[in-house]
Amino acid sequence: MKSRILVFLMSLALIAGIFSIYACGEKPEKKEKAKLAAEEIQIGSLNDMTGATSDVGKDYALGIAEAVHYINESGGINGKLIKLHQFDYGYRIPEALTKYNLFKQLKCVAILGWGTGDTEALAPTVARDKIPYVSASYSGHLCDTAKTPYNLFFATDYSTQARGLITAWFDTKWPKNPDYGKRKPRIAACYMFASAFSSASIKAYKNQAELLGFDIGPDQDVSLFAIDTKSQILALKEFKPDVVLHTNTVMSVAATMRDAYALKLGADHIIKNWGFDENLPKLAAAAAEGAIGCAPWAFFGQDAPLMDKVIEYAEKYNPGIPLEKRTIHTVQGWASVLGLAEALKRADKAGGLSGESILKNGFETMVNYELGLGIAPVTFKEKDHRGQSQAKIYEWKDSKFTLLAEVDLKKRWPDKWENEWLGW
Amino acid sequence: MSTTFLPCGDYHQTYAQEHAWWQTKFIKGKMICLFLCLFVFIPLVANDYWISICNMVGYTILGALGVQLLIGYCGQLTLGQGAFIAVGAYVSTLLVLEFPWPQFMLDWGIAYPVSVLVAGIAAGIWSVFFGLPSARVKGFYLILTTMAAQFITVDFLLTQYVSQIGGRGQAFSLPAGTIKLGPWVIDSDLKVYYLMIMLVIVFCVVISNLMRSRVGRAWVAIRDNDISAEVMGINVVKYKLLAFFVAGFIAGITGAFWISNLAAISPEHFPWFLSLSLVGVILIGGVSSIHGTIFGAIFMVVVMELLQLAVMPLADTYPKLLMDFLFIKEAAFGLAICLFLMFEPNGLAYRWWQIKNYFNLWPFSY
Repeated sequence: MKSRILVFLMSLALIAGIFSIYACGEKPEKKEKAKLAAEEIQIGSLNDMTGATSDVGKDYALGIAEAVHYINESGGINGKLIKLHQFDYGYRIPEALTKYNLFKQLKCVAILGWGTGDTEALAPTVARDKIPYVSASYSGHLCDTAKTPYNLFFATDYSTQARGLITAWFDTKWPKNPDYGKRKPRIAACYMFASAFSSASIKAYKNQAELLGFDIGPDQDVSLFAIDTKSQILALKEFKPDVVLHTNTVMSVAATMRDAYALKLGADHIIKNWGFDENLPKLAAAAAEGAIGCAPWAFFGQDAPLMDKVIEYAEKYNPGIPLEKRTIHTVQGWASVLGLAEALKRADKAGGLSGESILKNGFETMVNYELGLGIAPVTFKEKDHRGQSQAKIYEWKDSKFTLLAEVDLKKRWPDKWENEWLGW
Repeated sequence: MSTTFLPCGDYHQTYAQEHAWWQTKFIKGKMICLFLCLFVFIPLVANDYWISICNMVGYTILGALGVQLLIGYCGQLTLGQGAFIAVGAYVSTLLVLEFPWPQFMLDWGIAYPVSVLVAGIAAGIWSVFFGLPSARVKGFYLILTTMAAQFITVDFLLTQYVSQIGGRGQAFSLPAGTIKLGPWVIDSDLKVYYLMIMLVIVFCVVISNLMRSRVGRAWVAIRDNDISAEVMGINVVKYKLLAFFVAGFIAGITGAFWISNLAAISPEHFPWFLSLSLVGVILIGGVSSIHGTIFGAIFMVVVMELLQLAVMPLADTYPKLLMDFLFIKEAAFGLAICLFLMFEPNGLAYRWWQIKNYFNLWPFSY
């Protein structure tokens, strides 16, 4: 009897699924609905709510959904509404591959992606299918249009972030060190070797450190799930770094900084954007004092154009989440959506929402485009998808984020920026 | 035997008849229909999305076949199959990208098939290495030693060393056109599908045949009672290690196949959860059954996808439903394993066998 119930339940699920295929398909008899659907622009969104990067992914996903509401309520894409298909893929690459094909079936004209591993794995397919892919992975590998023509993002890429962080520390902190002028500064990095995201900017970091004359210490493998990193810190103590670069997400970075503080490592910490948010001081407490990080956007609630809307829509659509718990990642989500919406508007006006049109008439027409939200002006070129050459570097000091430096790599190393650093 | 239907009851007079592949014309017709469906009907009617789902099913079947062989047929518990899939994927990728192949081998598309074979052998040997403790330990302890395969292979060797080859420090990318079988460039989901179908058929046939051989019978004897098997004269250690080699070989081929579906490969593709889910596949599908492996994979991938499609129309009313679906899916997977273990411990394969028997004996099923 019980097994019959089981079979019944499974059959029910199957029938429901088959029914929904019909429900998701076209219904030519309902012209009214078809017309409405024609006025909708389908957008897919891959987010991580439960996986290795969910500590920062949840807030980003909320930002995406809220920003789409904002776009729709303020006129949509030249009158057409965005229909968002938002999925959690748990930071699993096979899941991302099937979801991508689902987005294609749903006729999504563009996709808002998430992680570096899946974005890089999907990049050739995206290029073949000509679907613009605005990711939350800011890997430098995605900027060379010869390899990844349909990948874009509204942020400073990881390699530029790493170079900017090292340069800012070198300019502002190293001269104050008692050993300045007596020896080379020492640097090491903590990141998850297995993660394409964490390791994306390591080559650039080492290159920049060599360029500025650092001694480079042994890399330390710190998991994205790390809660204890004492062995890595003890290994670093042998090297005695002056500064440590972190490229993981915030929970892992906080755990590393706490251990570094407890074991008196005595180094400064420079952190890529995903590890540097409002939760870092909460998680790392006193260890976070003096932390330096890259934040291409304004922090949540900071004074910046459109921030009032970010707050208004956070309160309106997710009133259950207190504003003090929201982070810069909400703002990042908004930046991705606003940037994509602008590209869609331009492409739509220019005659169509095909992938090629969105790329050529949308994104690649942006020259010093001011998005708001504290983000530096964005420019996408036909052969270069590095949207920004500036890295905004903040310091957590006296319980607030203070702008420490703005490093413009293009101005400082124009030759290398143009000819050497693209695509890694 | 050349009748259309077998008469009610067992009328086989020789072992050869009993083990024949095509016992009746009906079975032959049924299999031809199945082949037509797989090679013609599905590619004709399915769009890219469903083809990619089929590819996931195939990947899961191939991955789970090795687990089925070890757990279902030889009684050796394993939670390390994902590591051997990773070995296969990395060996094949490295050979294709880094090995100094003569130009004609690249032009003729020989590099990838050779790399697949080498990947299978490498993963098989690596699997034997982690199967060595099976000579001394079994059950829970063997699970722990096979789990070590995941940590040593993926988290340590692949992550710390192999991924750093060429100073990459990131995913190995496979440029378009790299994966070639002879003149056939595998660059679309449909081509991956055809490759997958061929591999699934080949391995199902190979394992079915192995199980009808002396080796298969030795494995089953070891599974049922290893002491009795040894008393009967079976070299238990040798056959256990052979099982690990074959399971590893299949895993290696699986990994090498899967790179044809990926443009980049990194250790993130092979989490420990992969090994765990492959065990779940055979628990749901049915232990000791090749049908079970296939049913389990279909359940794991297709049923979950259908469930997702079922909730999609509700997303307009409950927008967070889609975002929560992965959680629902994993909860459903866990629940399915619990329910199957409680109410249908023989898995879906047993249900299939019952349905088949019902029709075989109809209308005199009593």
